[in-house]
Amino acid sequence: MFLAWRDLRRSWRRFVLVGAVVALVAVLSTVLAGLADGLVRDGTSGLRALPYTHLAMSPGSEAVFSRSTVDQQAATTFAEVPGAEASPVGVSFVNAAAVDGGPSLDLALFGVPPGSFLADRPDAQAALAGPPGLVLSSTFADEGVEVGDEYRLGGSDVTLPVLGFTVAGSYGHVPIAFTTLSTWQSVNYGNDPRGRVSAIALALPAGTDTAALAEATDTDIITKARSYDGSPGFTAETMTMTLIRGFLLVISALIVGAFFTVLAVQRTRQTGLLKAMGASDAYVLRDGVGQMAVVVVAATAVGTGVGAVMVALLDRTAAPVELSVGSIVGSAALLVATGVVGSLVSFRRITTVEPAVALGVEP
Amino acid sequence: MSPTTTPPLSLRGLGATVPDGREERVLFDGVDLDVAAGEVVVVTGPSGSGKSTLLAVAGLLRRPPTGEVVVAGQPTASLSRRGRTAVRRQQIGIVYQSANLLGPLTAREQLELAGRIRRMPRRQIGAEADRLLGDLALGDRSGQLPAELSGGERQRVGIARALMGDPSVLLADEPTASLDPALAGEVAELLATEARRRGVAALIVTHDDAPLRHADRHLHLVGGQLVDGTGVAS
Ligand SMILES: Nc1ncnc2c1ncn2[C@@H]1O[C@H](COP(=O)(O)OP(=O)(O)OP(=O)(O)O)[C@@H](O)[C@H]1O
Ligand SMILES: [Mg+2]
Repeated sequence: MFLAWRDLRRSWRRFVLVGAVVALVAVLSTVLAGLADGLVRDGTSGLRALPYTHLAMSPGSEAVFSRSTVDQQAATTFAEVPGAEASPVGVSFVNAAAVDGGPSLDLALFGVPPGSFLADRPDAQAALAGPPGLVLSSTFADEGVEVGDEYRLGGSDVTLPVLGFTVAGSYGHVPIAFTTLSTWQSVNYGNDPRGRVSAIALALPAGTDTAALAEATDTDIITKARSYDGSPGFTAETMTMTLIRGFLLVISALIVGAFFTVLAVQRTRQTGLLKAMGASDAYVLRDGVGQMAVVVVAATAVGTGVGAVMVALLDRTAAPVELSVGSIVGSAALLVATGVVGSLVSFRRITTVEPAVALGVEP
Repeated sequence: MSPTTTPPLSLRGLGATVPDGREERVLFDGVDLDVAAGEVVVVTGPSGSGKSTLLAVAGLLRRPPTGEVVVAGQPTASLSRRGRTAVRRQQIGIVYQSANLLGPLTAREQLELAGRIRRMPRRQIGAEADRLLGDLALGDRSGQLPAELSGGERQRVGIARALMGDPSVLLADEPTASLDPALAGEVAELLATEARRRGVAALIVTHDDAPLRHADRHLHLVGGQLVDGTGVAS
């Protein structure tokens, strides 16, 4: 790297363009990483806030609540597992029309029975134990909804007052609301609920044999992390983000590779000279690829820094972004790795140079 | 052969061809030459006669189709690419027509890089570079980049670089061709003096006169044969 460092120091201008491209890709990658994390968080924060470890759902429902219907009595079977807690839960999307003619609300409505372990806050327990009503995500309080406002839930005759507010949370990017399980059932099934709920939420002790439990109850038992996958839009969003970021990595690798190829061709005579002096192929290759690695690392660091600042300054209510050190460092490391691979692709343009070109004699 | 009489450079029955249309044209054939330690051999020859090619073969930059190059007693015909690189690294220094300096390195760094490539002990590199630069009257130019040096200075840096790491063979391709006559004489003299002082076997190919005045032996490459050059105008 003796030559590479001095070349970088004295002819840095040559690397500005390729460095700028890599830095821009790094900015984009960082912002997209923040957006991907933010979207996931925004789509599942309602579930994250609930203290369950597993869900028991209909077989084949793929973690999608609307595809799953289980009998609320199943909860008693799960509760028999030593150390376990179980609670039936209903989840559906409803539109709530303000009775006084104000703006209507889209809700991800969670039905939870009184005394459920899911309602672990005292004020939530009190609200569920009293007369029927809605406990809304606190985001609605910021929008001017007040305790006592009445809402008619779409598709049913059920009219409920707002009882209070709980943590800000959403499910499938729709703010959450809680009500009692029986109210939820009458909203969804009218007068004939027959004990139907979406799932049984479980808090299982570590090491529970979930496969046997699923077998015994004829349900799918999925982990909390897996339950996010069923959140509307989750898979599509995650895949779109992965695709865009993948393309960015490929573009960056190609640009670095193309630049390095041109550089290697321009340096044919210099490479021949080094070899004539006795440098091994490995020595010349280390110098060249090492130099690209320095450029890519520096550009990625700058770009990632700029991207992180942009994510930090972005208005959280306008775009669901989250600054997670882990995924930002991960995306930067991936960018560096693909850049180095990109330059390695044309390594033969260096190793095949004959030392005789130093004398201007074709081999 | 005792080690003291082993010539650092020995060409034996050397031949070379170049592609010429469909056929191979013979550039030279059956070239025999021993260059002793401290001896300065100058080869002249018309343009296109194969002088640079001869040097490329002698410097193990190119494998000869026939014959063999023996460097410091070591036959090289059966060596791999890697093996030839190693011999080059340890034994051979090359001076080029246009100095062939690396643009981003100062004069002293050209020598440091050569020292590193030749795997000299790190501690010796700096001192050796300074000594060589001093010997070639470049002491005050050591921090200069090639673009900031004159043609003569550049060529002197090229010579100093070729001498880093104590090679036993010094090859020079038209070392004075790109210099004006006064400078050419100076550089040719330096080259010969340094080679003799260090006991290096020097093989210089040229088509100008300057190196001839400092030659111990003058050979002429013509018609594919290396003949005695005494009396032949270059
Ligand atoms: N790859 C090649 N293909 C075809 N011909 C070649 C090739 N390499 C060299 N030659 C020819 O071989 C001959 C010898 O070339 P070389 O460079 O050794 O000559 P030279 O004596 O050094 O000439 P000059 O004095 O002009 O430097 C020339 O005629 C050149 O055109
Ligand atoms: Mg030539």
